[in-house]
Amino acid sequence: MAVKGTGSSKLLGWLTPATEAHWDALYAEQLPRVYNFFRYRVGDGPEAEDLTSTTFEKAWRARDRYRRDLGAFTTWLLTIARNVATDHYRQARTFAPLEEAEGLAGGPTPEELATRRSDCERLSELLGKLPERSRELVALRYGAGLTNRAIARLTGLSESNVGTILHRVIQELRAGW
Amino acid sequence: MDDRFLDEMRREPSPEFARELHDRLRRQGPASRPARAWRPARIGFALGGALAATFVVLLFTVPAVRVSAQAFLDLFRVRNFAAVSVDPAKLERLKDKSLGLESLLDQQTQQLEKPGEPKVVSSTTEAAALAGYPVRVPSRVPAGYVTDTIAVTGAGAARFTVNAPKIDELLRTLGITDLKLPPDLDGKSVTVRTSAAVVQRFVRDRRKMIFVQARSPEVSMPAGIDLPQLGEIALRVAGLDPAEAHRFARSIDWHSTLVVPVPLGASSFSQMTVRGNPGLFVEVTDTGTSPSEHHHTGNMLMWSEGDMVYALSGNMDRVSMVEMAESLR
Repeated sequence: MAVKGTGSSKLLGWLTPATEAHWDALYAEQLPRVYNFFRYRVGDGPEAEDLTSTTFEKAWRARDRYRRDLGAFTTWLLTIARNVATDHYRQARTFAPLEEAEGLAGGPTPEELATRRSDCERLSELLGKLPERSRELVALRYGAGLTNRAIARLTGLSESNVGTILHRVIQELRAGW
Repeated sequence: MDDRFLDEMRREPSPEFARELHDRLRRQGPASRPARAWRPARIGFALGGALAATFVVLLFTVPAVRVSAQAFLDLFRVRNFAAVSVDPAKLERLKDKSLGLESLLDQQTQQLEKPGEPKVVSSTTEAAALAGYPVRVPSRVPAGYVTDTIAVTGAGAARFTVNAPKIDELLRTLGITDLKLPPDLDGKSVTVRTSAAVVQRFVRDRRKMIFVQARSPEVSMPAGIDLPQLGEIALRVAGLDPAEAHRFARSIDWHSTLVVPVPLGASSFSQMTVRGNPGLFVEVTDTGTSPSEHHHTGNMLMWSEGDMVYALSGNMDRVSMVEMAESLR
């Protein structure tokens, strides 16, 4: 899996007076991680970009309070991302987008169905059938590129529990692949 | 198990999106003042600061209290808590560079032991091994909350050497002319030691609550210091009027009382008993700095027990906080 390291020493720049100078490096390093977390979490579409933007805007506004979270920078950023995802689903449950409602009436055409069978979309569909917690773990593992240990810290689950759940989920996904 | 198919959805963000978001963030203005390393000098007044990193971590989670935290006063060991209402605007003026308070503290403080970066651990057992004392955990938490992060801050120590002429000059700049530092204090040192602190964060959706425990901070200073007098000076610097500062300073035992400044008009507080020990409950409402900011409320409960101090903060109500505190095991 091609995920860059967290570069935590560089990330310390976030905490120092050199914050401005380090911002570009931080941003370049973390953007793909957060963006892919949302791609796995909510699907491949404009929503992933919107939620990524929201996450970085929140982080940017709150950056001087980072130390309160007492964790690695990546953990802190993904904590914000998880909260953004939770808000997104909460709003989605309350207000279904108009486009979504319109789509329900007719459904995809056969041509559309045919073009949707790319690997990416197949995987997206499979992920869409997972329970929220399982999907979040997959998003953290394969989207954000976190280790099981980092996921455990972020979610409050034990590391072995994360491994067990992911193992089971991967088996389910493979069966449907 | 082959899981390579799960990489199928990974994509680099489009350059247009990355550039647009980057520029948008930049347009939101320069970085606000970043968080700084823990330094006792920042959290105390003339005697070199006197509050454990424990409480700094905790108090900084409640924005309205954050500014007040800088006015914590000296203590030997925490046994009791007393709250005092302070005007945030008056505290804010202490940050004015022209006043010279920060530079005075910088110049006169020697860091003896740096706490270092907080270390995230995977269990309270690991936290206890790092902290060097048994870590207690609540056996009851409000429904839905789960442990999110456990971290341990290192022990710290700093020494502040009193520069009486400069402090007197500072008092005059603040318009305090009826009080002076005892001249024999000049050149004397005050040492503040804080233990490792264990910080547990619990989350439920967007709600957070933080539980901090640490050994009581210890402040050692030359014998014979008139602590009530120094306390009165500190309270005046924090903005209390002369009569109130005098009354308050003479009413508490400065050797064992942690004075907690709470923002005037944005908080309420009450003394209470927690697990049979003295405690303080503070309810804070942050009115924000602009009309567009949403208001934030938070509660804080702190208490001492033996040589330990504990604190809970978050959006929980008072009853839930007390129940959680009482359930420690």
